[in-house]
Amino acid sequence: MLAMLHQTYPVLLDGLMMTLLVSGIALLIGCPLGLLIARAALSDSRAARWTSGIYRSFWRGTPILVQLIIVFYLPMSFGLKVAPVLAAIVALALNTAAFQSEIYRAGLSAIPAGQLEAARLLGLTRAQILVRIEAPQAIRLMLPALISEALALIKNSSLVSVIAVTEITRRAQQIASATFHPLEAYTLALVAYLAIAAVLAGAGLLVERRLAHGGSR
Amino acid sequence: MPAPAVLRRTVLAGAVAALGLVLLVAPGARADVLSEVKQKGELTVGTEARFPPFEFVENGVIVGYSADIMAEIMKDLPGVTLERLDLPWQGILPGLAARRFDYVVTSVTVTPERFETYHLSVPVADATMAILKRKGDGAITKPEDIAGKPVGSQAGSAQLQALETLAGELKARGTPVAGITTYTDFSEAYADLGAGRIRAVVNSLPNLLEAQRQRPDVFEVVLPTFGPKTYFSWAGRKDADSAALNALIDAELVKLIQSGRMAELQVKWFGAPMELPTVLPVPGK
Repeated sequence: MLAMLHQTYPVLLDGLMMTLLVSGIALLIGCPLGLLIARAALSDSRAARWTSGIYRSFWRGTPILVQLIIVFYLPMSFGLKVAPVLAAIVALALNTAAFQSEIYRAGLSAIPAGQLEAARLLGLTRAQILVRIEAPQAIRLMLPALISEALALIKNSSLVSVIAVTEITRRAQQIASATFHPLEAYTLALVAYLAIAAVLAGAGLLVERRLAHGGSR
Repeated sequence: MPAPAVLRRTVLAGAVAALGLVLLVAPGARADVLSEVKQKGELTVGTEARFPPFEFVENGVIVGYSADIMAEIMKDLPGVTLERLDLPWQGILPGLAARRFDYVVTSVTVTPERFETYHLSVPVADATMAILKRKGDGAITKPEDIAGKPVGSQAGSAQLQALETLAGELKARGTPVAGITTYTDFSEAYADLGAGRIRAVVNSLPNLLEAQRQRPDVFEVVLPTFGPKTYFSWAGRKDADSAALNALIDAELVKLIQSGRMAELQVKWFGAPMELPTVLPVPGK
């Protein structure tokens, strides 16, 4: 195993970078998009609520594998050749936005209306209410769910190999088929995923602790 | 995880095939593929880079027999770079039909159905089928010995078809195999053979020889080969605007066969030269 790691680590590292790049950018694009969809879901306008609902049903109700293939191949019928990495990022971003929006929706509607009313009566501005009242409480509520969504996204990114993006799972597959040592190759990929998960979970815990302090002050 | 793998494969193959169909009938004016390639300076080809020694990845780069052949061909396309996408096998031919790539440079085993649907190139290698067993498995000494044993091959492959034909003959003789397992790619089939879940894997002889060469402690090729003589080709689309590109690659392959360069590459990758015709024989006749 160590011999294989020694031989293949530049390739695995390259795959790991691709995994982080694709899922990282998708997560970042998905964040504001998810907020927007959550806002629309809580909006007074019926059209906005419907649009948001249809978007969420579509992206949460169909397999990522199919979404990836659609985003990769469908633009071809309009003569548009989308680069594999771009298609992967777009599909994953649109997908995670739907899941993130549900988390934001839950977080935003969890703040009691009485608190906001009281804050307004005390003369706080809208911005102050958002920064001092809504955000700290909502983020604390949503953080565990957001961390699991980030982890889910990183694992889902292993599917992008079907549209020719060589992330870490595909790299492990390539190594497995070239060396005929599949178990070792997949174990290395497994360790890499675990390492990412550990870092993310650790960071989440750290932020959670800080926010918990802020709350009890 | 056998169930999700099967599900993924089915979903993938189904979705790509459906999309391929939609795109096949989608109208639109199209330019000649070869002149488009020359104008853009880029030739996009689809490859399943998990098929050593034909096409596989070493140090992050697609290498192998077909990579060496492509390097020779690209010499005659100055100013054009080769963009080689690595996809699972089940997405290769549908992706070609969907025009996602210009050509397929991956070992496509010639079958009557593929011969009908795609423009298959001049043969690039012998693909006649054989059987791989665990080293020292005394119960399998010829292809027919897979009777009564669990066996495997790749989903959607001509190798699987050959295995099913053989299994059908064995069944007719009253000695059926004990189940056929299909895999997304051959590495998984080899892994299951190594793990003891199946007793034999059917693939083309050059691939099996490579498995034996890489893991002589685990695998052993069973000779003779079985079934009709079969070839590996590459594939292009059958439409008129792909004709020039198809003809160019065929002409290049014939040149390489006749100059003996192809035989040199066969010695390099397979250990021995192969006898190849310069025209693809019509399969199944």
